[in-house]
Amino acid sequence: MSRRRARLGRALDVFGPFVGLLLVIALFALIPEVRGRFLRAANFKSVATQSVIVALGALGMTLVIISGGIDLSAASNIALASVVTAYAVNAGAGPLLAVLLGVLTGGLVGLVNGGLVTRLRLVPFIVTMGMMGIARGAAKWIAGNQKIDAPMTWVNELMAKSPRPSWLLLAPGIWVVILLAAALAVLLKHTVFGRHVFAVGSNEATARLCGLRTDGIKVLVYAVSGLFCGLSGVMEFSRLTVGDPTVAVGLELDIIAAVVIGGGSLSGGEGGVLGTMVGVLIMSFLRNGCTMMGWPNYIQEIIIGAIIVAAVALDRLRHRKD
Amino acid sequence: MKAAAPKALAAAMALVLAAAACGRKPSGAAGEARPLTIAVIPKGTTHEFWKSIHAGAARAARELGVEIVWKGPQKEDDRAQQITVVEDFVSRGVDGIVLAPLDDRALMRPVRDAAREGIPVVIIDSALQGSDYVSYVATDNRKGGVLAARRLGSLLQGRGRVFVIRYQEGSASTTERETGFLDTVAAEFPGLDILVKDQYAGATTETAYQLAENLIGRFPDVQGVFAPNESSTFGTLRALQESRLAGKVVFVGFDSSPKLVQGLRDGAIHGLVIQDPAKMGYLGVRTMAAHLRGEPVEKVVDTGVVLATRENMDAPGIRSLLVPGLAAIDD
Repeated sequence: MSRRRARLGRALDVFGPFVGLLLVIALFALIPEVRGRFLRAANFKSVATQSVIVALGALGMTLVIISGGIDLSAASNIALASVVTAYAVNAGAGPLLAVLLGVLTGGLVGLVNGGLVTRLRLVPFIVTMGMMGIARGAAKWIAGNQKIDAPMTWVNELMAKSPRPSWLLLAPGIWVVILLAAALAVLLKHTVFGRHVFAVGSNEATARLCGLRTDGIKVLVYAVSGLFCGLSGVMEFSRLTVGDPTVAVGLELDIIAAVVIGGGSLSGGEGGVLGTMVGVLIMSFLRNGCTMMGWPNYIQEIIIGAIIVAAVALDRLRHRKD
Repeated sequence: MKAAAPKALAAAMALVLAAAACGRKPSGAAGEARPLTIAVIPKGTTHEFWKSIHAGAARAARELGVEIVWKGPQKEDDRAQQITVVEDFVSRGVDGIVLAPLDDRALMRPVRDAAREGIPVVIIDSALQGSDYVSYVATDNRKGGVLAARRLGSLLQGRGRVFVIRYQEGSASTTERETGFLDTVAAEFPGLDILVKDQYAGATTETAYQLAENLIGRFPDVQGVFAPNESSTFGTLRALQESRLAGKVVFVGFDSSPKLVQGLRDGAIHGLVIQDPAKMGYLGVRTMAAHLRGEPVEKVVDTGVVLATRENMDAPGIRSLLVPGLAAIDD
């Protein structure tokens, strides 16, 4: 009996995050008005494409949150990277160079975040809140306080709904997310660095006493998270086809919500790639379904708010069991 | 508590299975009698301007017996989210989309995708690059600028020192208003001396206020001012009031709000060029319905601008535009 219960418990740990996602999909699949359209492959593809930007940001955020930190500058960083990419394309740089510059800009912002957190011994909340303003301001500055129209290149194909070549089936951006998610999952579960990130997040003092170089680990975590934001910014540019410094305002909260819905704990030491991805999809499907139904935006905002609280409450329940 | 979680899991699974089973049933039996569904996508949902568009669209829907679905981006003025909304309506398979694009470039691809899926799009309010849409229903912004220039020029009797507060770089509609104003001044009122014509107010009342304040500080003897939209008009009005120039400087603005109507009544504003957003929403839905029913439609539809002044502001046709009644929305 007890063994069966333990097995059920473990199954729940693995499939727990999926329950919410399935519930959301089931909800809209049951509404006759949109059922036929909602469950189409084309719609799932469209939702997946819409999820790419938040998903990339959330992969980096998963790492940061596991390490016990937080990154409020993620959305501003995305906007900055998208503007830098557009600026570079516009200035005549090759698309590949522009993409690299965008990603590296994100990484640089992350590196500065990590440096400030460890050197100045400031709490991440404050450092990244400051960086939220700095990166947003820098984006507006570079863009001259307006959007940047850049010529169309293959960068804009990264988020096209019908990809070229067509054997890709999904937009290249989705494949990037899938590959990076798998890589990050392996990194977290099966490498020394991954275990160290968990150790720092669970109990930093103990980790330090055990001989871990906690500062170095934290800097690396923020830098990697910044790189993810940079890539997300490139995708944002690809989708908009313009570099818009005012894009993604408030998106950092969606990103954090995705991690938390997926089982990440803001006190550190917990979280997972799979859960985070499910968290991202839950919010995307909700948005998609609400729009299809023509429900007003406030309903959608209320539902997502309630889901965040419910998801974390459920998570608590699961943990009290152990 | 221990048993609760697996139960929830089982219930969820059952629900999903049930849903999947339902999904397989054919659902298009009542297809023939179904009314046309038209999605109307504004730039935002909380501004009065968009509520008027909603009211107009709702009136057209009632008259024509079509259904409209009104849905804007979750955050006002968020280009990325407006793209998502368009894509979701394409996924849903509405019969047509009436869209006020937040960006003349960023919305091109989703509109093209919609056209490719056989869903026609009518553009309202602001222009879109390319030609993947059925019709463009909007204010003739250039004409609005011309009206403003004529009002300002005739009040100043053709001579005086004037500055133009521009709105924002890259905003197509306001740039047309500014160009219409400047061209008309150059052609019809050569005696007007344009002191400043390349300063941008930015998106908010606050930034417009600061710009107007600085300009007034630099040119205290200014005699006429033109501002091309609601926020820049209100910001300029505040600056004129603060520097005690309100009423002394001839001031012509654009769009309407309760504060601007009050300014018009007090004599601080000498003219407001007003658009007809309700008509824009109305004609947007009408044009789409006509297209869907196979009737020919115009590629460009002008919804008209008028000049409101202190003298004519209580005439019924003008009053309803200055103070739109929003009771007509029902959904």
